Amino acid sequence: MATDAPADARVKQRKKGKGEPRRPEPALPELGPLGLLRWGWRQLTSMRTALFLLLLLSVAAVPGSIFPQRNIDAGRVADYIAQNPTTSPWLDRLGFFDVYASVWFSAIYLLLFISLVGCIVPRTRVHLAALRARPPKAPARLHRLDEHAEVTTSLSPDEVLEVARGALRRKRFRIHAHDGVSLSGESGYLRESGNLLFHLALTGIIVGMAVGHVFGWRGDIILSEGDKFASSAGTYNTISPGPWVDTETLPPFVLSLDKLDVDFNETPGRGFGQPRLFDAQTRLQRDPESAASRETVSVNHPIAVDGADIFLLGNGYTPVVTVRDAKGTVLYREATPFLPQDGNYRSVGVIKVPSAAPKQLGFTGFFLPTAEPTFANGPASVFPDAKNPELALSVWEGNLFPGGAPQSVYTLNTDEMKQVTKADGSPALIRLKPGQTYQLPGDRGSITFDSVKRFAGLSVRTDPGAPISLASALLATLGLILGLTIKRRRVFVRVRPAAVGDPSAPAATVVTIGGLSKDSDPGLAAIVTGIATAIDGATTNAEPDHPAERTES
Amino acid sequence: MSNSLAANANIALYASMIVYTLAMLAFTWHLAARAPKVAESKVAAEASVEERELVAAGAGAPVPVERRPSSPYAAGSAFEESLRSRQRGSIALMLTYLATALLVVSVAMRGIAVSRPPWGNMFEFATAAAAAVGVAYSALARRNRWEWLGVFIVTPILLVLGLSLTVLYTEAGELMPALKSYWLGIHVSVAFLAVAFFTLAFAIGVLYLVRLRREEKPPANPGVLESLPSAAALERTAYSLNMVGFILWTFTLIAGAIWAKQAWGAYWQWDPKEVWTFVIWTVYAAYMHARATAGVDPRKSMYIALAGYVAVIINFTLVNLVSTFVGMHNYSGMS
Ligand code: HEM
Repeated sequence: MATDAPADARVKQRKKGKGEPRRPEPALPELGPLGLLRWGWRQLTSMRTALFLLLLLSVAAVPGSIFPQRNIDAGRVADYIAQNPTTSPWLDRLGFFDVYASVWFSAIYLLLFISLVGCIVPRTRVHLAALRARPPKAPARLHRLDEHAEVTTSLSPDEVLEVARGALRRKRFRIHAHDGVSLSGESGYLRESGNLLFHLALTGIIVGMAVGHVFGWRGDIILSEGDKFASSAGTYNTISPGPWVDTETLPPFVLSLDKLDVDFNETPGRGFGQPRLFDAQTRLQRDPESAASRETVSVNHPIAVDGADIFLLGNGYTPVVTVRDAKGTVLYREATPFLPQDGNYRSVGVIKVPSAAPKQLGFTGFFLPTAEPTFANGPASVFPDAKNPELALSVWEGNLFPGGAPQSVYTLNTDEMKQVTKADGSPALIRLKPGQTYQLPGDRGSITFDSVKRFAGLSVRTDPGAPISLASALLATLGLILGLTIKRRRVFVRVRPAAVGDPSAPAATVVTIGGLSKDSDPGLAAIVTGIATAIDGATTNAEPDHPAERTES
Repeated sequence: MSNSLAANANIALYASMIVYTLAMLAFTWHLAARAPKVAESKVAAEASVEERELVAAGAGAPVPVERRPSSPYAAGSAFEESLRSRQRGSIALMLTYLATALLVVSVAMRGIAVSRPPWGNMFEFATAAAAAVGVAYSALARRNRWEWLGVFIVTPILLVLGLSLTVLYTEAGELMPALKSYWLGIHVSVAFLAVAFFTLAFAIGVLYLVRLRREEKPPANPGVLESLPSAAALERTAYSLNMVGFILWTFTLIAGAIWAKQAWGAYWQWDPKEVWTFVIWTVYAAYMHARATAGVDPRKSMYIALAGYVAVIINFTLVNLVSTFVGMHNYSGMS
């Protein structure tokens, strides 16, 4: 039988209690630090605790789906904090924006897994012993068991037991005869094996996750059409290596993006503007010396390089912008990625021109692939494809990098900058379509929107723990199926001579068959009657005139 | 993309709803025939020894073995179905088979029309899930004599189909890139199957609670509830169905993780849909535990299972539709 942890614990406690000297008053037993520890451990590894922790874990997971999470979208967290200035500092302190890395969430699953290990180890020991043990002796009154049947037959007791043995063996029971008049059979040992496998494999999943965390790494790149990327620790836009990853050993591949094919649904109605296709046409050199091969990276189809996979996880637009000074000298000409903010790719970005004189220039604003022309509700895009691209920017001048601190290329720090105004004192707002140029007020030069390219948001990732987790998850499923579908059963057969003088059964044997199962088991009845039927059949064969008499009782 | 096929799929869907409505009425009519008969047959049937086993799992041929009835109105032993009730039950089942067949045809035609598994947006999810519930019920109903369950299954199916046509309807169309994967076929279809089993278990679980209450406080005149299998039998059936659902859900979770690795580069990142899939899994795991823990009241275990089903519904509705739950799983097709 599968062990029942709390019941075991209770039995042990009671035994222990008996040995202790009786106290005059019902004071709490003095456990001492060791006893307390042992008590705590027993509580922790009890099935009730596991049940409680499981429920707690499911409740604790929910806030992570309600509040924005930093691990998914740090930008949304920042927005949320800005919109809820009173509650969010508290939520933040309590870890509600990082639920799955929070102390309380980790505490729950760690306790659960400690409990799990504390549960598996003794259960495995018990199960190993059970595997070697013989089925127990048949109880005296088999008709008290859940399933039972009685047959009277003209076969001899030995013949009956032989038939029963055969029937049980066909059902793959382990059989033992403790004496000459009974038979004990037990089956379904795989149930507990499966159960243990399931619980053990759960720990395997966690091990796999830990391995991935420690030995895995990921690097993200934003690559514009026509650009080339050479992988190394310093070239990724962001790189997050696990603590034990040597970033000098990243795969040295070189990847160029020729073209990003996109397609959006143009049929009006529901689904208008939904993406249909993102395909990055690339050329990949697995190392700088090898020849380039053409590869398509698309959603659901990463490409593999040296143990890492390259995923296409995002895309957007990189307007090509030229900034000139008053004399026409080019200060800046680059494809600058603007990050999409909504389904229609209203994108934000920044153009920083540190070489502008006398003061540095910064442009910040929106790229709209299909601009809504009136800007009635501010700059907006009405379709994700570049049908009517437009840039809407404001201009700032001053010190771009106050204190020389590093900063994101997507934000403009305006602490030491002033917005550039027109002659009438109103802020200069620039709206440009491809090919157009805007003359900045006050002889500050000009800005030209040359053209639009697309960028691919690529992510290079390794997760050496994933195969461990996957194998464990599959083993867990196997264990689950075994543990839930196999029934642990005991079947006993007992024979005795029929009462002397019974006219219906001359020289007959009465057979009682009893079956026991740990849980609801509709198949048990069939096994019990199966044995009865087998005895009937054997009787009929041996002595066609006197078929066995069955009394189902 | 074939628009006429998609249109035919919708016609089949409407036809299926009409037949389901008839089935719902027939099941109600059947329940009406069950109820009064109980009182008459209660004593007479005491002698009946045959207990109908509910659980489908490998029971083999029915075996005439007497059991101790756990209540005065225990399954079968206190209830002998009248011919009228049986006939009405049969009619209702036939109608259910027909309606389910029409629904399956509708889903299949939609699939052919769009040349992909027909569950790429919420309308299609809802319809296919309803079809899965219909198929699971149809496959198990006659063998287990579940005519009494019919109205509790067919009514929610109708409700879901009605909502999916009125609120969720989306024209047949191509998928977004993240869904273009054969894992759509595997992961989502197993999820439906799991949901189908959870749904059957939920309906039986609720009936169990009601029946248990009636067994504890027997009414003066037994009604239709007393014609149901005993509370203990209902509990066992719900457990078996939840167990199958749980195994399928475990597989759904794993398949989802494998797919997430391909589509999003990480097999688990706590996207809201992943969170809820996990929540559902842990709640049902807790139910399995509760049921196996000595000393936990089966009624309390059943509450946990019912809570799991509430999470299934939340996962299917709120998580798809409410913007609080924004994640990477934005495939409702509702925007
Ligand atoms: C991550 C945590 C856990 C999960 C998800 C989990 C899940 C499950 C599930 C789904 C079952 C039913 C399946 C089967 O019988 O094979 C089960 C059974 C069982 N679990 Fe756990 N479990 C967890 C932790 C634990 C812990 C900590 C203990 C020990 C206290 C434990 C003890 C048991 C026992 C004894 C059974 C067998 C019940 C029976 O005889 O049917 N589990 N568990």
